[in-house]
Amino acid sequence: MISTVTKLPNARRRIDETDLCGWIGQAAPGEALEYYRGFLALDTFSQAQRLTERERAELVRVARRAWWASEQKLIHLVQRRHGADDYSYLAIARSTPKQASASLSSLLLAEVA
Amino acid sequence: MQSPISRADLQTLLHEADAAARRLIRKLRLSKDDLADVRQELLVDVIARLPAFDPKRGSLGAFAGIVMANRAARVAHKVKRERRLYGAVPTSLDETLPDSDGATRGDLFSEGEGLSAYFGQPVDAFAEVERRLDVERGLGTLDPDDARLSAALSQSNIDELVDRGHAARSSLYRRVKNIRLALLAAGLKAA
Repeated sequence: MISTVTKLPNARRRIDETDLCGWIGQAAPGEALEYYRGFLALDTFSQAQRLTERERAELVRVARRAWWASEQKLIHLVQRRHGADDYSYLAIARSTPKQASASLSSLLLAEVA
Repeated sequence: MQSPISRADLQTLLHEADAAARRLIRKLRLSKDDLADVRQELLVDVIARLPAFDPKRGSLGAFAGIVMANRAARVAHKVKRERRLYGAVPTSLDETLPDSDGATRGDLFSEGEGLSAYFGQPVDAFAEVERRLDVERGLGTLDPDDARLSAALSQSNIDELVDRGHAARSSLYRRVKNIRLALLAAGLKAA
């Protein structure tokens, strides 16, 4: 169960890719972030013209990064419906994977060789 | 100087060196332990310059006085520079503390307050191990090619990689931006 959801600050309605990555990096397991409010599928569609091109491009980057983080088992992605075409898109932090999956020594040795 | 120095000349040099060293010690408020070192430094300098001494132009005492004054100015400059770097009052880490049962000043400092930490070197072994694990976990989230690029960037900069034909500059910068974001999401901040 999500205990608290971090809302976007009023003065700045949308977070960018760096904000999302920064939040993922420091969030405790179970913490949630509303990284977008709207209708993602439609808002990222170029012909829909619900956002400016610049906002849409940033939203695409944020959405892709959220998907990537989910694939990396860093976050869960869920959505909450408020009404027609109105959803909160939430990222919920997962516990950090314990096992390292890349050896720094091997990479450095390979680079030197 | 054409002939070896006489015993009287040597006495003159020793006297001048002693006086100059004492003046410098007093002026810089150095400890008495430094007196012998400073005296020796002044004396060595004047002996090294003796071949340039011309008795027709003045006495040996005057020659030695000028050489030592110059040398003393350089020593003072060096001491002041070190004080600006390391603090106003020079103290030795090996100095035994009063009523301390043999403990030295250096025993009071933790590794985190030491010279290594001052110059940005890691001093906390546990934190270093944890950081390495974090880095390896972060590298694990990267595409293998990007992980190799990260390793390469620990040895070279972008310009060198471009020169070695790794990839185009714009491509490398784009990948570095992606790597930064991935590592940020893994909890690693930029150094």
